[in-house]
Amino acid sequence: MVQTLRRVFLTLLFLSISTSNIFAADASEQEDGQILDVMGTVADHDYMKTPFGKIYLPRIFYWEDASGETGLSAYASTKSALESGVFAENEEGAIVPAGGGQVKVDLSITSHLVFFWIGMGLAVFITVMAAGRYKKGIGKSVEPQGAFQNIFEVLFVFVRDDIARDNIDKHKADRYVPYLFTMFMGITFMNLFGLVPWAATATADLTVTATLATVTFFVTQFSGTKDHWAHVFMFPGVPGWVRFILTPVEILGLFTKPFALAIRLFANMLSGKIMIIAILGLVFIFADLLGAVAGYGVSIFSVSLTVVLYALKAFVALLQAYIFALLSAVFIGMAAESHEHDEEGYRTEHIAEEVSAN
Amino acid sequence: MGFLAAGIGAGIVALGAGIGIGMIGKSATESIARQPEASGDIRGAMILTAAFIEGVALLGAVVCILLALGIGQ
Repeated sequence: MVQTLRRVFLTLLFLSISTSNIFAADASEQEDGQILDVMGTVADHDYMKTPFGKIYLPRIFYWEDASGETGLSAYASTKSALESGVFAENEEGAIVPAGGGQVKVDLSITSHLVFFWIGMGLAVFITVMAAGRYKKGIGKSVEPQGAFQNIFEVLFVFVRDDIARDNIDKHKADRYVPYLFTMFMGITFMNLFGLVPWAATATADLTVTATLATVTFFVTQFSGTKDHWAHVFMFPGVPGWVRFILTPVEILGLFTKPFALAIRLFANMLSGKIMIIAILGLVFIFADLLGAVAGYGVSIFSVSLTVVLYALKAFVALLQAYIFALLSAVFIGMAAESHEHDEEGYRTEHIAEEVSAN
Repeated sequence: MGFLAAGIGAGIVALGAGIGIGMIGKSATESIARQPEASGDIRGAMILTAAFIEGVALLGAVVCILLALGIGQ
């Protein structure tokens, strides 16, 4: 077991070193005056990188032309869309209908979307795999067998006990475990794909994290109890005029929670990538300023620091997935809570009733 | 100008987040030292609170990145 772990660790170490070189090679390809294109490396693209070249992804447009007519068209790639003559590129590099007008909704499949699907698909896949084993009775009547099922069970029980049951009312907690587990595993896979050569970090894109946070927002609101809405619109136990201040703040609070959730995940994953690019960029900056020898000298320091950063990024990938699932559970728990037993007014009333009954 | 703003902003963001997370770490370690059997709960609360502070700090950091890249000018 120890030997297997060591082999995995060495492979990861090797991969992290080789990945740095790949990033560096990509960065030095930029020829438009800038040494490094920081945002280009983290931005969404219409192609997927593979060891053998780029795979271009389909483009789907919902367009409106100059005469106000709308329509939906799909092309195999950006190139074929341009070659068809229906679409053209404007000065800013955006795709527009050739005869004037605009692309109203760009439904194109991008690299981040593909990795979003892969991440979520893997989360569903391992869950279905494990469910099949439990259905056969392995893990129910006998102990779970094999590394896969054991790791799955550790993760699942962790999500159920430490994330769901700790933060959500215990009668309702189990209902949210599937959702929280999907989010946890999906985000973990998406984050970890950022460490794989040629892959993209889907969660370093605000649209992806905002989508995930929106799902959490709706789950939270639909699981809201009467007490949750009472707290939003008619905060109990405060003077009437305070509600004029409190109600807008509470309504705003409904939206800031998922907003912060989206920004947190996005900024964490983005900053990790930018940090690595910036530190590797030092090599090129020094080589440009002081000559190639300085570049080689700095690369020893830069590349070894990048390896450490990679380990840190792997930890942050897991931690951010945990925090996303945990905060989702906290928000759902806050909304799904019934306050009956904690409400001050309720308690005094009932004590009074009990006293009078006796 | 954007670079200057981004640099100063990033510094202030790091200062604020550092003070905040440092205070969480201080009180968490103190509580664990006082009550080692509750270390699991304290660690959970620590990560949760640190995540909230980090969220605000990263919001500032994103604004600094946007300023430095000159987006929105």
